[in-house]
Amino acid sequence: MTMPAALQAQDLSFAYATPGGGAAPVLDAVSLEVPQGAFALLVGGTGSGKTTLLRLAKPEVSPVGDRGGDLCVFGEPVEELAADPLCSASRVGFVFQSPQSQIVCDSVWREMAFGLENLGLGQVEMRRRVAETCYFLGMEPWFRSRTTELSGGQAQILSLASVLVMRPRLLLLDEPTSMLDPVAEKGFLALLRRVNQELGVTVLLATHRPGPLLDFADMALELKDGRVHELALGELRSREGLRVQASMPARREEAGKAALELSDVWFRRTRDSEWVLRGLDLSLGEGECRAVVGGNGCGKSTLLALAAGVLRPQRGRLRRPLAGSQALLPQDPKVLLSAQSVSEELMEWSAAGSYGWGDVQNIMNELGICQGLAKLHPYDLSGGQQQLVALAKLLLARPRLLLLDEPSKGLDQGAWHAMVRMLLSAREEGATILLATHDMDLVRVLADSVTLLFDGQAGPSERTGDFFEGSWLWR
Amino acid sequence: MPRSPNAPAVFESLHPSVPAAFLLGTLGVSMLAVQPVYLVFSLAGGLFCSLLCRGARETLWALRWQLPLLLLLCLLNPLFSASGSTLLFRLAGRGVYLESLAFGACMGALLLSTLLWLGCADVLLGPDAFLDLSGRGLPVVALMASMTLRLVPQLMGRAREVEATLDACSAAGEARGTGGLRGRAARLNGVLLSWSLEDSLERAAAMRARGWGARERRSSYRPHPLRPSDAPGLALVVALLLLNALLAWVAAGQWRFYPSMPTLLPWWGYVPWALQLLLPSLLVLRDRLIWWRLP
Repeated sequence: MTMPAALQAQDLSFAYATPGGGAAPVLDAVSLEVPQGAFALLVGGTGSGKTTLLRLAKPEVSPVGDRGGDLCVFGEPVEELAADPLCSASRVGFVFQSPQSQIVCDSVWREMAFGLENLGLGQVEMRRRVAETCYFLGMEPWFRSRTTELSGGQAQILSLASVLVMRPRLLLLDEPTSMLDPVAEKGFLALLRRVNQELGVTVLLATHRPGPLLDFADMALELKDGRVHELALGELRSREGLRVQASMPARREEAGKAALELSDVWFRRTRDSEWVLRGLDLSLGEGECRAVVGGNGCGKSTLLALAAGVLRPQRGRLRRPLAGSQALLPQDPKVLLSAQSVSEELMEWSAAGSYGWGDVQNIMNELGICQGLAKLHPYDLSGGQQQLVALAKLLLARPRLLLLDEPSKGLDQGAWHAMVRMLLSAREEGATILLATHDMDLVRVLADSVTLLFDGQAGPSERTGDFFEGSWLWR
Repeated sequence: MPRSPNAPAVFESLHPSVPAAFLLGTLGVSMLAVQPVYLVFSLAGGLFCSLLCRGARETLWALRWQLPLLLLLCLLNPLFSASGSTLLFRLAGRGVYLESLAFGACMGALLLSTLLWLGCADVLLGPDAFLDLSGRGLPVVALMASMTLRLVPQLMGRAREVEATLDACSAAGEARGTGGLRGRAARLNGVLLSWSLEDSLERAAAMRARGWGARERRSSYRPHPLRPSDAPGLALVVALLLLNALLAWVAAGQWRFYPSMPTLLPWWGYVPWALQLLLPSLLVLRDRLIWWRLP
């Protein structure tokens, strides 16, 4: 007897329920098969229905609408899972995109126990499962932490752990790393690979950026125009390779007069905490684009907040001649989004920035945000589109100093190129840019010079070419 | 779970029910037994425990407003209640009596000792005690408390971030100040509201995906089960409590402020009360001694 597939769809179709009825189907005659033990990718552009497809396989989070065809999990139709929540919870696990919004409890151990408590398990069994999962994922050092204190990467590992602790045989993940920086992303994916290989859990991961996963995925399914077809991994790889071949701009040789100067800056969050910055020196010429790179927690975001004047150093001097015309792009674009629609959002600062609806339309074209999206609520956009809208909002105000915190996080290829184009044209117009990022491709195409931040101090800033030439890691 | 930085780790080795019983009992007796010796003991014990557990700096920092409060209560009472038999002096035609001054002082001491012990409660119990203790009987209440503990700091953090980012975007110029402070507050509320609502949708889905509602009754994970070694401590605390409640009832029954106060005499009954108040401090001192003797 052959093993049933972990997930199998036959002629699956789905259309969202709308008041008038007759909405266009998101999925149309989808047939697919994910064998047990596989590591499968589900790729496709934003809004192609990846999330819908994943959610249909998990009855508790299935969208409401018109479904046709068959969908089986380990040979059983999902309807049977829906009737038996206990079985469903322990057979199919689901990890969502945002680490901060899917965590329920205040402490790590309570979060780990949450699912097990829902299943009503006894003390001994709970203890064993929590212990084994923590051991496997190496979570002991922060098992007693508060969930608000976790870094993004740790929070997403916790989300994975709190699902794994229920011992699912099929793990569905919806863009799990799109809010993580590349270092945290690598850590998360390495763990996921071990879950797949050592625990034999079948993985189906939806992503619009398959690059980092290509080395260990077994198969890829592409969702396009409501249909799924299998894609050779080689083809995905060749698509990914295109990214860095963006045109290299001419570097500025001479920096203008200082646009931002930090000298001997010391900073710590509270009186008892460790120094984040220890005597940092940094100076930025007008019109220069400087990339600040460095590990997680090395103080890149702190540096930006200081440069923006949001934080004050305990010691040292700050000169900010452009303080009256600056803009800060935070890591999470939601911080900047306040209006009811994309168009209102982009018009929010029109009076102060003295721009009009025409400029907004221009920038939307440049970004590849089609006019149809203008009426949507910003929250109905994908994370990458939100990021672009937030950046566009800043650029419309024509700041002379742009402070960008990890601007390319979670962008798919199209959005990445759109963002680079926008930043390049802002640079052409003379904006000074301070960019904190892990994305070395972005540094290559955008930055005039690079500063490596380590141990609270800034290394000497080098021209981008020299920096990569002399580097051992990023050559 | 991390407590305040000066907190001795020794209380973490106890089941939370032991310090919880101690605190409830101590606060209860201190508040009900309005008798000078009991109050002075409670005040001294609370101060000593606070110095040991929270450190001198934190304690003195709190006393900076607590002491004036004590003084105020002490002085205010004679102004409002002119009763008693020992006239000290006359102020604006009203008599100030020793008895009413003493009553004010006792009330001040009661308040201050309560504040001191409540200050120690954070150190003695740790932030999780309530959840640990309610988890078994009321798993859903414990979960709600846990979610609140998570979401409130998250919301505050986001509010700070939104405000700071807006401040940082000076290129947006006067737009930041449209409608002044109120406009700004309305904008902040809007941002936080849509963000929280959006979050709550995903959180609800994540909860359902992990079997929320799969069973009628949730179980409760207890990282600190009540172990046999906790029994003697709990028994000691409860026994002392009962004894002291009885003795305090006797002592307070014999005490009155008005019209005149009886003379206080040495009495063996005060000893168990002193012992109870010193319990946490003794535990901390024993712990320090152990570490001091280690090579």
